[in-house]
Amino acid sequence: METKKLLFVTDFEKLWFDALRSLNDLRDAAFGHVVFLNVIERSRVSMYRGAGYKKSEEIRLREMANIRFIEWAEYLFEEGLEVGVYIAVGSLVQQVVSAVEKEGVDLIVMGHFKKNRLEQFYSGSEVTEIIRRTSTPLLVFKYKSEKGETYGKPFKKPLLAIDWELSPLENIADCLMEFKDVIQEINIVHVAKENEIKGDSIGEAQKIRKDFRGKLEGMCDLFEENGIKAIPHLFVGDAMTEIEKAARECRATMIITGSSGKGEWKEKWVGSLSGKLAAESVLPTLIIPA
Amino acid sequence: MGKHVLIVDDDQDVRMFNIEVAKQNGYDPLVAKNGEEGMNIIKETPPDLVILDVLMPKQSGIKMYRELKTDESLKNIPVIILSGIARRTFIRSQEALTEFGDENVPEPDLYLEKPVEASELADSIKKLLG
Repeated sequence: METKKLLFVTDFEKLWFDALRSLNDLRDAAFGHVVFLNVIERSRVSMYRGAGYKKSEEIRLREMANIRFIEWAEYLFEEGLEVGVYIAVGSLVQQVVSAVEKEGVDLIVMGHFKKNRLEQFYSGSEVTEIIRRTSTPLLVFKYKSEKGETYGKPFKKPLLAIDWELSPLENIADCLMEFKDVIQEINIVHVAKENEIKGDSIGEAQKIRKDFRGKLEGMCDLFEENGIKAIPHLFVGDAMTEIEKAARECRATMIITGSSGKGEWKEKWVGSLSGKLAAESVLPTLIIPA
Repeated sequence: MGKHVLIVDDDQDVRMFNIEVAKQNGYDPLVAKNGEEGMNIIKETPPDLVILDVLMPKQSGIKMYRELKTDESLKNIPVIILSGIARRTFIRSQEALTEFGDENVPEPDLYLEKPVEASELADSIKKLLG
């Protein structure tokens, strides 16, 4: 089996080495190569009034990152894993995309960098921007909740939120089969919009439910054929709220969603479900590009 | 023409330093930025010595060393490991790979911890190449 690569993006605040350790079970899915990336924001070293470029600060930040990565790499090397490192100055999105292209990465793991609405509008969300520019699944890993709970082994029991109008299901299924050795059970939820449940009779309305259930069952079959226990769920209402509810009810370890594939400007104005889940859900969120 | 020394390191400053040391001591440097590039060069122009970093993008020095030392036609090329990674880790990681079923490989000829003085590096090269 070919060794897969995981790109672990860290600013040494949101994701620490214990977060990476909690993904240990990914070795069963052939992830045997970890590439570390630390991006030093340009604003921390670039010119500001009267000071010029802070070369010594760049050297200091690079060496701090290097010391941490050497420590982490030593652990992983001794366990027989392959390790690589990038420490770069620049934009997070650009450096992630560049590392993905250079290395041929199979999974990106990063924390979420919260922005307010105005910042989000002007500079966009790093997560949605990365998803737009790569075809690699991205795990927004909220390893520790604000209450201090940890979310290890996110692939163990994920909740897959699907919208057959937006997400290419074959892409999602194909991508998840790569993780079949670490997924014990998958819950699949579709959230119907309230206005979709309509008809002149109860029978007509129920036909719509039956149709949705049928599609969910078909999706479950795909997973079960590959040895993954799959459970369908149909919810109705606001997608974001209902997905969170479903995740709680199923005791999911992670939410998986496809990206919408919306254009940049539409994304900025109306937002996307995957972006919202990545930003707001307490659970780790795996986004699979369209 | 001097003997060829292949320098494999992702850090440009370290590459420049090693090139300078090699040239000043009468050797011809070949240069690669990672293990993958290093192996490509070795297959085209087998060097007389390799100075190899460990923690690099694309392919680490651990993997490149293993590839080199398990190749019948290349395994006698001497290697100096020049890295921030501890020697103990290098040895253990090779042992770990052997436990997973890979071939056993010998320890590197010399192991230097970064940073090194020019004289220490020059002496190490001379020790192995004369």
